[in-house]
Amino acid sequence: MRALVVEDDAVVGPDIAQALHDAGFIVDIATSGPDAWYRGDVDDYDVIILDLGLPQLDGLSVLKRWRSNGRAFPVLILSARGDWTEKVEGIEAGADDYLGKPFEMGELIARVRALVRRAAGRASAVIEIGTLTLDTRRMSAAIAGKQLRLSPLEFRFLDYLAHQPDRAVPAGELAEHLYGVADASDSNAIEALVTRLRRKLGVGVIETRRGFGYALAGSA
Amino acid sequence: MNRQSLRLRLLLGATAAIFLALAVSWLALTLLFERHIERRVEEDLTRNAQQLVANLTLDTGGKPTVDAAPTDVRFVQPGSGLYWQLSASSASLRSASLWDQGLPVTSTVASDEWQTRVANGPFKQRLILIERMVRPLHAGTTVLVQVAQDRTSISEARNEFARELAQYLLVLWIVLSIAAWLQVHLGLSPLRKLRDELAVLHSNPTARLTSDHPSEVQPLTQAINALADAYQHDLDAARRRAADLAHGLKTPLAALSAQSRRARTDGAVSAADGLDRAIAAARNAVEAELARSRVALIRRARPGAQAPASVVAEQVIGVVERTDFGADRVFEIDIPEELMVPMSPEDLAELMGAVIENAARHSRRRVRVQGRQVEQTRSVCVEDDGPGLDATLVQEALTRGTRLDEHSDGHGLGLAIARELVEATGGTLLIDSGDLGGLRVTARWPK
Repeated sequence: MRALVVEDDAVVGPDIAQALHDAGFIVDIATSGPDAWYRGDVDDYDVIILDLGLPQLDGLSVLKRWRSNGRAFPVLILSARGDWTEKVEGIEAGADDYLGKPFEMGELIARVRALVRRAAGRASAVIEIGTLTLDTRRMSAAIAGKQLRLSPLEFRFLDYLAHQPDRAVPAGELAEHLYGVADASDSNAIEALVTRLRRKLGVGVIETRRGFGYALAGSA
Repeated sequence: MNRQSLRLRLLLGATAAIFLALAVSWLALTLLFERHIERRVEEDLTRNAQQLVANLTLDTGGKPTVDAAPTDVRFVQPGSGLYWQLSASSASLRSASLWDQGLPVTSTVASDEWQTRVANGPFKQRLILIERMVRPLHAGTTVLVQVAQDRTSISEARNEFARELAQYLLVLWIVLSIAAWLQVHLGLSPLRKLRDELAVLHSNPTARLTSDHPSEVQPLTQAINALADAYQHDLDAARRRAADLAHGLKTPLAALSAQSRRARTDGAVSAADGLDRAIAAARNAVEAELARSRVALIRRARPGAQAPASVVAEQVIGVVERTDFGADRVFEIDIPEELMVPMSPEDLAELMGAVIENAARHSRRRVRVQGRQVEQTRSVCVEDDGPGLDATLVQEALTRGTRLDEHSDGHGLGLAIARELVEATGGTLLIDSGDLGGLRVTARWPK
């Protein structure tokens, strides 16, 4: 597992690197924006920890450049300002998670591992069902070529439906898949999730088969 | 109104001055009126006297006789108040009204013109009397001709005039006092406006007095505005320093955490525990200070800021969905696209971030965000399906004056920040139980 730590602080950067090293990562450190951009562009990392306050080129610009070049590795941003506008900007620029400074090192490691786990084990598989395209490595979706921003839960929901192309999936089964142990009331949550997804995808993409469950349009 | 009241002083001054002027007028007019009547009476008396003189002859005994006496009926009624008397050296002739009395006679009376004097007459009357020495045609001696009238009627007329004039002037005084009150009221209205603006300045330190004041008040408003600017500048500088200090502490705290971890791996566990506790306390203080400086900035923000609630809610949820506690939550968003909330988008993101993150953290599966506009009241409501919060804890989290950094748990800090943010923009924050079974936080802004 390769990780890149982008942090200009002489104490915090090596500290994160050490903790990641202890957690079994092979770690590189970049201390400036251009340096980070270059390394991210040419090397394949499994995860990048990106501080937003960088000299020369700020972290947000670096992240946008990576994403526009099609670099899909998971990125966790460290936000120093810690306000929500900065978090929103970070996520919209393509970050996968954020952590406000100061943070618990244990939490950082846990988040990094979660990011790697989400992306790992997925070949760069693209599933197409009707007008819907799912990129299982980037955990992104597109409708007729138009990119959508999905939450991890929403992606897992679509991903599960996409892998059951031959049948309608009951709400209870979906709840069990998404939440592990589920009870009857969780079908309400599934219903709310479908409502929200339909607003993002358009009404026709997720079909309700009465008495059976949900299915993607274009599947059997 | 106390003694310092400008209005009271102006009003008292005006009414007193008007009263004084009217009183002097009353006195002068009454005197003038009396003089006027006296002159008219003198004219009447003179006319009667001239009639007497024209018909005056002396008989052979030197006794004055009148062929045709003045015809006024009062000359024949005894004690009527109108009298004449002709006095020669040997005998005299009187009007019937004098009965057996006589007019007071003096020796030094001019012969060339009528003279007027006031004298005590018969019947205890005070008389106005004209007299002249006359030498009838072909006569050797002079005759003193006197005509007199009781002054009582003049006094009565004067008193009646004075009374009526006083009533009229009293009404005039009231009318003029009302006019003075109106003038004071209008004249002081700029000060009332100034006071209202100062009240706004007091509640919102970023407000300034308008430049729309009379030229006499303008220097005062400029001075107050300059003072407010200076105060604001100092306050901003202090806040910036506090925020900078809080920010500046973040990286050293992270470094301190690294040292603590190193100590722990080296076996100094209890030392590392103590260090971690101190670091956690310092972190809370830093976060609270940053939250406070953010709220202070909101109060500083220009009024009229608006943010689209649905857009900001989507953005914030886009972030929360990527956190570990938000990753498997369903977020239901039900906000009309046209709903605008009276804060800047940054502040609304801060408010929604605090409340939605809090809801996601404590929810089981679902978080519902609703926005409503009923007439002019706008509200945003966030509820979750978690276990909810104890009523006493809610109260504690919202109690005014509770220091933000006293709440280290997720609920408290988020809700305290939210309350500060909402109240800084003129709204209220309400916390109760929602339909989903968990906590419901409602921010409401009246018109």
